[in-house]
Amino acid sequence: MASDSSVEPTYLPSTVQGAVKILVTGPFGVGKTTLVGALSEIAPLRTEETMTTAGADVDDLTGRPQKTTTTVALDFGRITLNQHLALYLFGTPGQQRFWPLWEDLSCGALGAIALVDSRRIEESFDILGLLEEHRIPFAVAVNVFPDTPDYPDEELRAALDLLPEVPILACDVRDEDAARRLLIDFVDHLRSTALELP
Amino acid sequence: MRRGPVRPYVITGGRSRASRNVLEFESLVRTLPGAAVDRTALNREQQAILGLCRELLSIAEVAAHLGLPISVVKVLLGDLLDLGAVQVLPPVRQAEQVPLSLLEEVLVGLRQLR
Repeated sequence: MASDSSVEPTYLPSTVQGAVKILVTGPFGVGKTTLVGALSEIAPLRTEETMTTAGADVDDLTGRPQKTTTTVALDFGRITLNQHLALYLFGTPGQQRFWPLWEDLSCGALGAIALVDSRRIEESFDILGLLEEHRIPFAVAVNVFPDTPDYPDEELRAALDLLPEVPILACDVRDEDAARRLLIDFVDHLRSTALELP
Repeated sequence: MRRGPVRPYVITGGRSRASRNVLEFESLVRTLPGAAVDRTALNREQQAILGLCRELLSIAEVAAHLGLPISVVKVLLGDLLDLGAVQVLPPVRQAEQVPLSLLEEVLVGLRQLR
């Protein structure tokens, strides 16, 4: 699971002509990295992105705007879908303060899977709000931990204040088959939504 | 995580934004083998990119393997692209609305995985 920049690269087939991406987001410790790892054909990789966020609007005495620099870790994996097309999966923290990174990441993404831990759903409010606000197509996926309470979907939907068109999926992200079914269900949902558009 | 004492700002010659929007996280890169590029004009990181990308990799993978932030790799690749040293395949999805055919292709690909 640990990524290492000294790992030999696994190249894509030379016939590949381009890639698409899907984001995996959720609060800290919800299982993003595990899900990316379960789905990826290569050992998951990690990069660290430095992000500069503007501080207060008021300039300080030196005349420079105050800025803070944060480092955000990004775990990602890859699936070669056919000889021409590859899919990248980016696991990314969803909090509002990481929005500058999100802007870059979400540009061109097919959509996002928002992982939720139903034992602490309040940690997902921020992320779901961000996805809605920026009109990124998404599904909620409840990561099933051994002691996860079994809430009916409707109760969870109400608690998360989800729009009716957002599907709620469930998955044990450690299980490769379950993870793959989750991804298939998500893309199938994106496809059904696209079919309904005028 | 980042290796070496050089700050990203120095590596990129003071720039923090890449000049082209074809350079995204999932853009694919490969070194053009026949390109007549004066390698002495390149910095160490750019030479490392050319060495790494002898076959296709995404910008994100280049960043991870070289231990550099993606934003830095984008800037370095912008120069290499201008020099004609690399080929970049932009992301497949360019339109605001994702084409149905693309989603179907992804779905078929995923269902065929074992």
